[in-house]
Amino acid sequence: MDFLDQILPLVTKPARYVGGEWNAVRKNWGTVEYKVAFAFPDVYEVGMSHLGLQILYDIVNRRTDALMERVFAPWTDMEEKMRKHDLPLFTLESRRPLLDFDMVAFTLQYEMSFSNVLNMLDLAGIPRAAGQRTEGFPLVVAGGPCAYNPEPLAEFIDLFVIGEGEEAIGELLDVLVEAKRRSASRQDFLITAAQVPGVYVPSLYRVLYREDGSVSGVVPSLDGVPKKVTKRVVKDMDRAPFPDRPIVPSTEVVHDRIMIEVFRGCTRGCRFCQAGVLYRPVREKKPETVLRQAANLTRNTGYDEISLSSLSTSDYTPVREVIKSLLDKHTHQGIGVSLPSLRVDNFSVELAKEVQRVRRSSLTFAPEAGTQRLRDVINKGVREEDLYETTGAAFREGWKAVKLYFMIGLPTETDQDLDGIVRLARAVLDLGRKAGVPRGRLRVTVSVSSFVPKAHTAFQWEPQAPLAELKRKQDYLSERLKERGIVFNYHDAGLSFMEAVFARGDRRLGAVLARAVELGCKFDAWSEHFQLSRWLEAFRLAGLDPEDYAGRRYSDDDPLPWDHIETGVSRQYLAREHRRAQAGLATGDCRTESCPGCGLCEALEIEPSYAGGEQHAGL
Amino acid sequence: MPGYRMMYAKEGPARYISHLDLLRTFGRAARRAGLPLAFTQGFNPHPKIAFAAPLGVGTSGEAEFADLELTEDLTATDVAKALSDTLPEGLRLLEVRLLPDRYPALMAMVDRASYRAEAKACASVTEEEVEKAIGEFLSTKKIWVERKNKAGGKNLYDIRPGIFAMSGKLGNGIISIEAELKTGSSGNVRFEEVLTAFEGSSRPLVQGRFVLYRSGLYAASEKEKKTLWHGR
Repeated sequence: MDFLDQILPLVTKPARYVGGEWNAVRKNWGTVEYKVAFAFPDVYEVGMSHLGLQILYDIVNRRTDALMERVFAPWTDMEEKMRKHDLPLFTLESRRPLLDFDMVAFTLQYEMSFSNVLNMLDLAGIPRAAGQRTEGFPLVVAGGPCAYNPEPLAEFIDLFVIGEGEEAIGELLDVLVEAKRRSASRQDFLITAAQVPGVYVPSLYRVLYREDGSVSGVVPSLDGVPKKVTKRVVKDMDRAPFPDRPIVPSTEVVHDRIMIEVFRGCTRGCRFCQAGVLYRPVREKKPETVLRQAANLTRNTGYDEISLSSLSTSDYTPVREVIKSLLDKHTHQGIGVSLPSLRVDNFSVELAKEVQRVRRSSLTFAPEAGTQRLRDVINKGVREEDLYETTGAAFREGWKAVKLYFMIGLPTETDQDLDGIVRLARAVLDLGRKAGVPRGRLRVTVSVSSFVPKAHTAFQWEPQAPLAELKRKQDYLSERLKERGIVFNYHDAGLSFMEAVFARGDRRLGAVLARAVELGCKFDAWSEHFQLSRWLEAFRLAGLDPEDYAGRRYSDDDPLPWDHIETGVSRQYLAREHRRAQAGLATGDCRTESCPGCGLCEALEIEPSYAGGEQHAGL
Repeated sequence: MPGYRMMYAKEGPARYISHLDLLRTFGRAARRAGLPLAFTQGFNPHPKIAFAAPLGVGTSGEAEFADLELTEDLTATDVAKALSDTLPEGLRLLEVRLLPDRYPALMAMVDRASYRAEAKACASVTEEEVEKAIGEFLSTKKIWVERKNKAGGKNLYDIRPGIFAMSGKLGNGIISIEAELKTGSSGNVRFEEVLTAFEGSSRPLVQGRFVLYRSGLYAASEKEKKTLWHGR
């Protein structure tokens, strides 16, 4: 009798831990040379909704010399059982402990998942500190957006992959398989890997500190190691590997549908947005690629919904024709199409109308700020008229609920900008009434998150508003948004505070993280688990002040802890955008207006590629 | 529209698929198989698949039943062939039969289920002791168990009338208990309840937890159990 059978009946959602899903790959362990465990530092339902996992799983398992299996963070009830029975963290496919693998590869989607990374290493019996992992321990690798400021995790990770994983993983595996064949030492492995473009091996770099303890630079400590690590980028999305047999979970996950990435990147240039920098340039897939992938995926998965995903899908040049073709082809099979994110304009409502013929859920728009002045500061090219036209059209088309996303604590924000949020929400509610939406069903949800300055953005030099100020702003809005029909909700400001600390953190935060995990921090992205007091205690024990990180204002020429990581977007451009923000000047979209000179195309020898010519979708 | 009755096994990793997820899993498998599914009308259409009786998460089903409705006439053999290749690990189609035009729903037919539980025996336990303990357990006139009610409180419920048969064996250090229990909308006894009550009635006989199997589902006529097969 399997030991797992003894504990699984005692935990919630045991399907998280058993694998065996449709399209899961179980390879012959004995005949494969190099074994990778893909580790997602959150629960199964979150991890299985991540397209990157499916892409890398497909690429690695197509190779004959390597395999990839999956492991997720066990929920706390399962962790308790595992610790009690000394059951080490195992993969779903072969149910082997992570110690049996050559590589454990984490994806870092969110700063507040860092505690889970350490906790998973603990559960696997792998020493946390990279320096303590002697020969025979798996290589611990990390990638994803949070790898662009790798320093808070640098102590624990053997190597980071910067940029788009599908571009780097093949070369990385080639050199690692070869190194394994010649029985290379761990150090040899790392030095070899550091030659692969996009790979950052923190142990091969030294951190230079100033007298006040802040970081003045991260420099190679060995010849032949690159001074700057530049992100990897896929040149041709039509030829990029894309799984046509993704794993279909047997239990409901967050995004339980076919996900087709229609393009990568975004041209809008919102100054707070890190993804907008990291995923440049825009690269659209051709319609025929999307349609071919949709046909394969519907056949191979059995899903009844196709989601066209990207940072802003209504910007996809051929979006209308692609939706039409998909509906023509798949509606009779009972398959619908969905769009995850919409722009604030009429075109988006038309698209939503097209795709939501069956299901009428609520529509979500993100004006981000309450006044035109502040929207210009953050370069969110949305006008008040756009919002009114769009929501008015949505109500007339039969939607009864809309969601509006805003940020508070943005640079230069005053209470007048908060008043603007209130005014917009009330005006939208009014439009709903005028359109004849029944009072009992009309709902305007105002969702407010706190601004977090992120590395590599125009706002990387800006401080986050102090915690008390963020809370005051939340209360300010809460008092003014009590009207019937308006639902106001906001994110935990303490969580945004910690996110800001780690988003612009340096290598000293490793000690804080280790303390925090010892104090029991885990699943910090889950509000029922996050406890600010524990984090503050960890800072106290490590002798650091979180305010020094979150509240720090850098000057334009200060060295930054992530200066050795190169996104291709120039510092001069970011500084210029920062100055324009302070002056309240918007900058045009590089797709429709002149090139704002971010420097990426020259630096990475790449160009934006549009599927349907240069004209703007919907114009 | 043609209806098909399927008998299938739910084992291995598929044991942990919940009842609600199982509907989705079969729906997706049928789509992958290219079967012309019939859908329910309404706001959120879903494929017309109906199960005989929910199976507890973690319990293996050795002969489970479900009905499937299609929009085109296919032979049972063709349906079986198509669907066999598209089910995930642990779901195994055993047999498919075409249903007559009119047939009672599985849910209305099912009346009882047979179960088996296996666990490692404690060192000194003998088969006689197991048999004796079960005999004593069954000789109780009423067996009260606590059940949560909808209001969030608890009710006491006598499960004894729903236990039609129960027996035990010991072999190779494994205790195996078989039982036939009332199942369905007119009364339902869960095997876990029976085992918990039984374990509370004797000295510890097993180490660790029982692993559970549902070995069959049946209709009833008079006092006999009857197969759920109703087709041609």
